[in-house]
Amino acid sequence: MKTADELGVIACPLCELVMRSPDGDADCPRCGQFLPRVSRRGIGKCWALVIAAVALYFPANVLPMMHTEQFPMHRDDTILSGIKFLWREGSWELAVLVFAASILVPLTKLIVLGFLLVTSSRRSTWRPRVRTKMYRALEVIGHWSMLDVFVVSLLTAVVQLGRFASVEPGPAVLPFASVVVLTMLASASFDPRTIWMTRRGEA
Amino acid sequence: MPELAVCAYCGAVHRRAPLPGRTTARCIRCDAPLYHSTTEVPAMLGVAVLATVAFVIANTFPLITLSAQGHQTRATLWAAIMASYNYRLPVVAAGLALTLIVAPVVELTLLLWVLVPLSLRTRPPAFRFVMRAMAVLRPWRLVEVFLLGVIIAIVKLSGLATAVLGWGAFGITVMAIAMASLGSFDQSVLWQRAESVR
Repeated sequence: MKTADELGVIACPLCELVMRSPDGDADCPRCGQFLPRVSRRGIGKCWALVIAAVALYFPANVLPMMHTEQFPMHRDDTILSGIKFLWREGSWELAVLVFAASILVPLTKLIVLGFLLVTSSRRSTWRPRVRTKMYRALEVIGHWSMLDVFVVSLLTAVVQLGRFASVEPGPAVLPFASVVVLTMLASASFDPRTIWMTRRGEA
Repeated sequence: MPELAVCAYCGAVHRRAPLPGRTTARCIRCDAPLYHSTTEVPAMLGVAVLATVAFVIANTFPLITLSAQGHQTRATLWAAIMASYNYRLPVVAAGLALTLIVAPVVELTLLLWVLVPLSLRTRPPAFRFVMRAMAVLRPWRLVEVFLLGVIIAIVKLSGLATAVLGWGAFGITVMAIAMASLGSFDQSVLWQRAESVR
């Protein structure tokens, strides 16, 4: 098994054209996409996005996500209390689903990204195959955390029954959506090929 | 070097081999998918047309109809977006409009723009630009997440009033499935096809 670097070839990340590696920086001759070499330069940018996401993670989970008026009562729900409500009133299956999408996915993304960044910058030799699979899992689950933002928007739109009941989005909506977008941008800025630049000199 | 396939995740180089049936070639080093056996332009075009029709249905009919005490409200896709705007969350509203309306409209238009000429064996105008624009939009495809959101909204509403799924939700379902299957086609095949018809 040889790597692209060892053979002196490079594949375009956009159109997948395989060509001889150019000297210095170059764009793909077929589609014009910049051809990035394997490098750890992106790690700093990825860290910045992860740290911004961690900072917004707190208001996203502490502030209320949704305000419900249902005469004569009203309630403010954070992400977590909304899940508890769904567990008691609705169905536990969906509560598990929302818990996975809104709590587990963002937390997993931040922890796994941090782990990948640390191991990549230390040229760790720890199971690169497993780490690559972790990265691919991040790409698959990433956008599912947007779920609660959609639910709140839909409920706000549909529950306008005059004085009987109404739903309003809470102040957590914006930080929560930002966490999702920032973690998506962070995983996109991480180059998984750096996982294979281990101290044994592969990649 | 069209005989080679380089893994996008670890950089391992493979020699391409013909694949039997409906299979996916995977990287020997990191197990990431390399390429698929079943990428055909007419099949892609069919799925893109289906997704376009489903998108029109999703935007025309209500997603959820709610009735309580003689009142009836309907939530369309557009109403869901405007709701955030009306509650002074313009950034969220813009994000919703971008992921649920603008991105799908642009992506489906560009797909048809590319696929129709390619199936007629001519090179689509502005092919490079269109292909790159689609690659930028692809990660922001959130239709399947929105579909799950509609289902959860229905359950949350069931304690409040009678909530019924509308035809718009059916449109979202078909669109989510169609868009997901478009993701399993290899974009590189379109580049090869465009080069061969130049």
